Amino acid sequence: MSIFSFFRSAPKPSAVQAKERLQIVMAHERVGRSGPDYLPMLQQELLAVIAKYVDIDDNKVEVKLDRGGDCSTLEVNIELPSRDQIKPPKADAKAAEAKPGTGNGKPDPAKPANAPSAGSVLTNGGVSKRH
Amino acid sequence: MGKIIVMTSGKGGVGKTTSSAAFATGLALRGFKTVVIDFDVGLRNLDLVMGCERRVVFDFINVINGEAKLNQALIKDKRVENLYILPTSQTRDKDALTKDGVERILNELCKDFDYIVCDSPAGIERGALMSLYFADHAIIVTNPEVSSVRDSDRILGVLNSKSRRAERGEEPVTQHLLLTRYDPERVEKGEMLKVDDVLEILAIPLLGVIPESQAVLRASNIGMPVILDEASNAGQAYLDAVGRFLGEDVEHRFITVPKKGLFSRLLRRSA
Repeated sequence: MSIFSFFRSAPKPSAVQAKERLQIVMAHERVGRSGPDYLPMLQQELLAVIAKYVDIDDNKVEVKLDRGGDCSTLEVNIELPSRDQIKPPKADAKAAEAKPGTGNGKPDPAKPANAPSAGSVLTNGGVSKRH
Repeated sequence: MGKIIVMTSGKGGVGKTTSSAAFATGLALRGFKTVVIDFDVGLRNLDLVMGCERRVVFDFINVINGEAKLNQALIKDKRVENLYILPTSQTRDKDALTKDGVERILNELCKDFDYIVCDSPAGIERGALMSLYFADHAIIVTNPEVSSVRDSDRILGVLNSKSRRAERGEEPVTQHLLLTRYDPERVEKGEMLKVDDVLEILAIPLLGVIPESQAVLRASNIGMPVILDEASNAGQAYLDAVGRFLGEDVEHRFITVPKKGLFSRLLRRSA
């Protein structure tokens, strides 16, 4: 026995480690169990409602469900299609010409704030649930 | 009106069948008319542990399907008065257990028996769910070991959400912890979870601690419930647990390493 081992703290008994590991893993598992779990349903229905009005590209939907200690978060990011993609190209060209202040027929770069612009993102349909 | 007790654990191999056999025998020894039912369809073993494997003619599934009467399938124990065994089928699978069928048989048994002990299969699928669905009491058999404790917690969640009492919003199933295969020497060395650790994690009342014992294997070898081996620690621990279940105040034994006297210490040193 060297003199250094005297100062080193003894390793934790395996039973203590077992208890700590169990407490951590079970705290997580119990959270998922308590109460009716409406988050996945809510997610599906939210997407269905948005799909009713906007043509959503399935590849541009990002859904994150985080389960935390006392708070779970449902985060939905949906990239809405640009105007050009919604309207047929002909009608779009005409509309651009009809707009005041655009002499050259190019699409107006400054679009109204409330209109969905190309690649605009509906961020954080964030729903939080406290336990 | 009989009370339904489920012996369950989630995890396999922790001692559900051993405990079902012992507990049912203990209740019968106290004078209660008791039946123990094997719910492990396809993997029947209660008959072997109870030592009545050669007397099985009809089984639980036959009765559910109306192929036999209940009293044709019930096997009367030859050692203990008031004790009956309802074995299960070895050839069918767990789909043979229908909720209506199980309910019908349990209702019939409740009229005639004081206690109905349901030996659950491992897992949380059909067989296990059927065995706990109608329960009044649940005895959670747990080993002081991580996977067993976690699975016990899981099964407690199932009891609180999927039992009939939970579905009907009645008073919840009464839960009891039976800690089996406990080894005080390893606990003292810090190699095994303590009783208090498991109680702190699972947070249900302690019914008993059954020490790791060679008597359990010896008893199952000869088809005798270990509770009948009254000289063994395990047998005595089961007797104590039955007493506590019946409301008696029995002190816990076999939790600590027995203190060695000077004499036995000297003997060991010289040996």
